[in-house]
Amino acid sequence: MIHLKNIHKSFGRLNVLNGINLTVERGDVVVILGPSGSGKTTLLRCINFLERPNDGEVTIGALTVDCRHPSRKDILELRRKTAMVFQHYNLFKHKTALENVMEGLIVAQKVPKKEARERSLEMLEKVGLSDKCDHYPSQLSGGQQQRVGIARALALNPELILFDEPTSALDPELVGEVLAVIKTIASEGVTMIVVTHEMGFAREVSNHVVFMDGGVIVEQGTPADIFVDPKEERTRQFLKRITPEWSYPMEALR
Amino acid sequence: MGKAFDLSLLGTFLPELLAYLPITLLILAASLFFGLLLGLLLAIPRLYNIPVLTQLVVVYVSFIRGTPVLIQLFLVYYGLPAVLGLVHLDLSRADPLLFVIVTYSLSSAAFLSETIRGAVNSVDLGQTEAAYAVGMTARQAFGRIVLPQALMVAVPNFANKVIGFLKDTSLAFTIGVMDMMGRGQTLISATAHALEVYISLAVIYYLVVIVLERLFAASERKLQQHERKWASA
Repeated sequence: MIHLKNIHKSFGRLNVLNGINLTVERGDVVVILGPSGSGKTTLLRCINFLERPNDGEVTIGALTVDCRHPSRKDILELRRKTAMVFQHYNLFKHKTALENVMEGLIVAQKVPKKEARERSLEMLEKVGLSDKCDHYPSQLSGGQQQRVGIARALALNPELILFDEPTSALDPELVGEVLAVIKTIASEGVTMIVVTHEMGFAREVSNHVVFMDGGVIVEQGTPADIFVDPKEERTRQFLKRITPEWSYPMEALR
Repeated sequence: MGKAFDLSLLGTFLPELLAYLPITLLILAASLFFGLLLGLLLAIPRLYNIPVLTQLVVVYVSFIRGTPVLIQLFLVYYGLPAVLGLVHLDLSRADPLLFVIVTYSLSSAAFLSETIRGAVNSVDLGQTEAAYAVGMTARQAFGRIVLPQALMVAVPNFANKVIGFLKDTSLAFTIGVMDMMGRGQTLISATAHALEVYISLAVIYYLVVIVLERLFAASERKLQQHERKWASA
């Protein structure tokens, strides 16, 4: 179980997160929605301490970290229980696809090389890139790079995978292949928190939707709760804005 | 005035001077070795924004960049014995080579620290974040992810600096070091064929620079393997 308690984060005088509480059960697929600047990405980055929260508590499984006095060991442990998929992929540029996936296993988890290799090959196969093992990131398309990023996260066998807008840097025609991979691993029971603007994906894959604005959680619930019957005015406005009218009456146009 | 120009003397001078190439290369290699170590140390305060040390490094680098290396050489040659004299270390019998290596190490460290800093800063922060996200410690992230990429960026700049340093070593003779240039001076005194000696020296320095350039180009290609697309793509 993952539990965030009263997370606060500010950059200088700018308060980005104002007391976030969130519970994620094992196997949950949580989608975080919200306008830009609402603090979604910052929240995600606070969970693995790429941003250090100013206050609050992060609990993953048996480990609870007090954000005010985190030890170096706490932070390392949090990071080893989680994995992250980045908006801009952030693959290690000087390493091949296979080496990218193996790196964390060998260096951070001290898995023997042979085992790490087998496991990494398996993960690359899962994301459909067995034939690209020896390619460097610069030789791969955006969609392929992001699939390697997902394989890298999966290989670590984390308790939680954090997806930070995994498709927003991709060309539109490459979004589908990445979403398909995320869907597959979601269906296999991997716990994940996904920040995304892909509404279709959020509706279809998630079992819990969180709507953030102004550094607080405005509303959360099942996809049906949020998409069909939002309680808060701000949620309604947001959903209306990002779902242009022409997207529903397709039949009417034919 | 020297004697009449005699091209055939090159055949004698070239091997005479080449015999002292190892001294020139020794100065270069030793000052690069210590310069890199010190340069790395000097780069750290600015990379991590350590107060006071950062300012000291900035002043040091600015001083080295702003003064001719020949003057630095004399400052060390006359200054080091004076300073060490205070702690009763006698350098009056020290080999002048020592002063040369100290000077060029101090000088190259300043330039190399800038190269290192620029190269490390050029590596996208996302690379470090990805390393942290897979559970690496700060040291692992730096050593395995940032440093190799920074080296790649640094090679072309480093190559230019090394070639510059090599040519700077030709000033070592001014404090009496017997490198190629020093040997050239004695040949001129002995034969009065200055032009032939300088032509020979020019040829040797030029050839060494060409060899160094080739070596760096090859290492650059090797380091940047991952940037190359498949030939078929």
